[in-house]
Amino acid sequence: MDSRTEKLLGADNYQKLRESRVLLVGAGGIGCELLKNLVLMGFGEIHVVDLDTIDLSNLNRQFLFRKRDIKQSKATTAIKAIEHVSNSKLVAHRANIMDVELFPLSWFHQFAVIFNALDNLEARRYVNQMAQFLQKPLLESGTAGFDGYIQPIIPGSTECFDCTTKETPKTFPVCTIRSTPSQPIHCIVWAKNFLFAQLFASGSSTTSDEDLGTENPEEIKRIQQETNELHELQDYAKAGDESKIVDIFRKIFVQDIEKLLAIEDLWKTRQKPSPLYDIEIGGPVCKDLNVVWSIQEQTNAFVEATKRLMRRMTDEKQIEFDKDDQDTLEFVSTAANMRAHIFNLPQKSVFDIKQIAGNIIPAIATTNAIIAGLSALASLRVLSLIKNSATAKPLELNMAFTAMASKISSHRYLSNPQLASPNPKCPVCSIKRGVINISNNELKNIRLSHLMEAVREKYSYPGEISVLDKSTQRLLADFDFEDLCGKTLFEINIKNGTILLVADERCDETELRCPTEFYIACGTEGGLELPDIEVPLVEVLAPSETPDDDHEVQQSVTAEGAIILDEEEENPRKRPLDEAPEPTSKVAKIDEGEVLLLD
Amino acid sequence: MAAQARMRNAKVLLIHLGALGAEITKNLVLSGVGSLSLIDDSDVSSQDLDSQFFLGKAEVGTKRLVAAAPRIQDMNSRVELTIDTEHFGSKPDAYYQQFDLVIGTDLTSAEIIKINAITRRFNLPLFVAGLNGLSGYIFVDLIEFDATDEKLKSSVPTALGSVSQNRRITEVVEHYNEEQKKTFETIVTRNTYTPFEKVLREGTFKGKLTRRQLKRLTNAVPLTLALFEYPDGVGEVTPATLKEKALAKFVQLGLPTDQLQQIYVDQFAEQAGLEFAPVAAVIGGAVAQDVINILGKKQSPLNNFVVLDGITLDMHIFEL
Repeated sequence: MDSRTEKLLGADNYQKLRESRVLLVGAGGIGCELLKNLVLMGFGEIHVVDLDTIDLSNLNRQFLFRKRDIKQSKATTAIKAIEHVSNSKLVAHRANIMDVELFPLSWFHQFAVIFNALDNLEARRYVNQMAQFLQKPLLESGTAGFDGYIQPIIPGSTECFDCTTKETPKTFPVCTIRSTPSQPIHCIVWAKNFLFAQLFASGSSTTSDEDLGTENPEEIKRIQQETNELHELQDYAKAGDESKIVDIFRKIFVQDIEKLLAIEDLWKTRQKPSPLYDIEIGGPVCKDLNVVWSIQEQTNAFVEATKRLMRRMTDEKQIEFDKDDQDTLEFVSTAANMRAHIFNLPQKSVFDIKQIAGNIIPAIATTNAIIAGLSALASLRVLSLIKNSATAKPLELNMAFTAMASKISSHRYLSNPQLASPNPKCPVCSIKRGVINISNNELKNIRLSHLMEAVREKYSYPGEISVLDKSTQRLLADFDFEDLCGKTLFEINIKNGTILLVADERCDETELRCPTEFYIACGTEGGLELPDIEVPLVEVLAPSETPDDDHEVQQSVTAEGAIILDEEEENPRKRPLDEAPEPTSKVAKIDEGEVLLLD
Repeated sequence: MAAQARMRNAKVLLIHLGALGAEITKNLVLSGVGSLSLIDDSDVSSQDLDSQFFLGKAEVGTKRLVAAAPRIQDMNSRVELTIDTEHFGSKPDAYYQQFDLVIGTDLTSAEIIKINAITRRFNLPLFVAGLNGLSGYIFVDLIEFDATDEKLKSSVPTALGSVSQNRRITEVVEHYNEEQKKTFETIVTRNTYTPFEKVLREGTFKGKLTRRQLKRLTNAVPLTLALFEYPDGVGEVTPATLKEKALAKFVQLGLPTDQLQQIYVDQFAEQAGLEFAPVAAVIGGAVAQDVINILGKKQSPLNNFVVLDGITLDMHIFEL
């Protein structure tokens, strides 16, 4: 037996693994780690989807990327970087997973399992929905600082991603931070994670590696050029040459802004920034940290803080931002405020900025590594590939989240509750799903009223129904809105990949037909083909209650050392996330302030 | 910041660059450890390509470290990387004195005992980690370590004194945080550690875990410890001898022997010492995170034995 994996799984299972095609969505922090694991395990074919390009700030944790790869596609580069050990067929897609033209529902069908390694809620939700349509197992994962979780999702049998409410972590696209800030927080993130990191932390910055958020080639070019130029300024900072402070000031608060102004497209709908032309450089500083300083005071304090940091650089070689380190805090505060002034945004006191900057959570490489390892491991049981082990029922599978690192427990490194049953009130997995096949020709012939009639008849809706286009949240028809019923599907922009939500609109009934989502799949042939699915009558449920969050806060804060072993296993059917909220939301609640997740 | 400086100035020795060594190396190099010395005398085998990513197909038959070093350095040019292709056993004890911290991977229990004696003599923190197929473990010996944790003050103030066999709270300082308008406690916890040999001979859960906790303990824990009873390696493990050693471990640990499951015995007998990439990722991530912690921030470290059951994803920390 040649392969270690083969010895581990047994010949039959290993053969299955070698023949399995899997999808990895995301090639960032978790994605790089997961790709490495999947390749080493020996999955037959691995598709990697990521639209992003590599940013300087990714390099301190996304270990497949190097400086020379900056601006390259993450998906393509990650695959190139792991090829030297790979026995798998690796396919890169530099694209958005939500692009229905490239990735229609039928495309997802080829995969045995989907791995989510995403950094945003929207794409997570989308993939979750695709998994629900196809009844495909999904390995969901996420990290925020030292917190992380993995959750296998078996459609129809276990909780789906949307069965518990998720708080949206605040993340910002790179272009908002680097080109078009519209809130003070954008300036603070810029000052801390970009400017400070580049000047003093030797590029080990933790700037968001979101998609740049812009298609404007001029702007992308400018963002990248700016990064490289700042690297030059770093040499000044390292050399401790205080006479260069004026150059640094002019570069970031005048020249860079002028370059931005030159990209006229950016300012068509936005107020233009004003470079800091007429400012004396140097002068007395204000000592009161609770008030907002004048722009001259900001400048003076910026110069003084920069001097102090430069002097420290000769000894310390690199300095990390710490909100309790007054030099780093004043540098970041004053730089953020000057940028806010330039972009006509409100400024904040050093005191306020200390709070906000302290709540920016950096991505941690080790958390990503642990979570990606767990995700890969969990997939073996989901796919029943473990040797001599009985096939686990979905509800016997485990999820896992960091317990010690998240300060939830002192004697559990991980918590591993078993999966919970689907939430009957879940807006995503409690409803029925099917695919409507329709030819492009018929799209132009069939009217909405015709489609509604066909649906009503086939699934026995006795009365009024409503139709909502989920992709755009457009109401297409209901009992008192029939304007579009006479239009063809083509005319109302129903196309390949559109998801229609059909709901029973009768009033005062105790039972209604279950709401159903239809995925519109367009082909070149055939007519209109409705799926053979059973749409049952369901009891009308009371509106869902808002979850009681206070309880969770109390628990996670006082939990250290206080939680007894195996508490969550007392009742394995209890929904695990009630007890241990999704790490991202937990952090958000504990910190109470503005929390920003990076990665 | 002092923590970062400590991290950057730290000299870390890592023994063996297997699947686990590669993961730990990757994590430490990314985090910007000052100096990392690798020692490993083995050659690249074709099986290595299943379990680690610093080696390439073209390098089968060459020294692992020589093959891996350029890829490691390429991740972060600022880390001072040293490689040594001798066997670590050929080094005199004084060799270890130049390091601030030692990490041993893929070691036999006889080797762990030997290295641990050296790290104790020179007062060096030691991390040991290993893989047994779908399972993996971490053993930590920091000798004595004062951890400082920050905690929101609850209605009951944290009391001084012993919190467990190996941990004692020695200092609690309250301070009011103006920004958050809350009172916090800075808690100093003295962690004492037990040498590996003593853990192996005397380690027990008696009096530490409740009956329910003992009942729910994964078989992976006693079986991991039973595998250490093959002092010179796991080459001769058979299900029958392993079962016998496991039963003895059950007794030593204070576990009811009827809980031993044959399926776990078979799994561990077959997978003893086997490397598997995802398990290496979890264990390697946990080791590196704790190493970074004790070199920098000094929050409560692992104390002192961790076992991952890769099937149920159970991963507890035990004081043994």
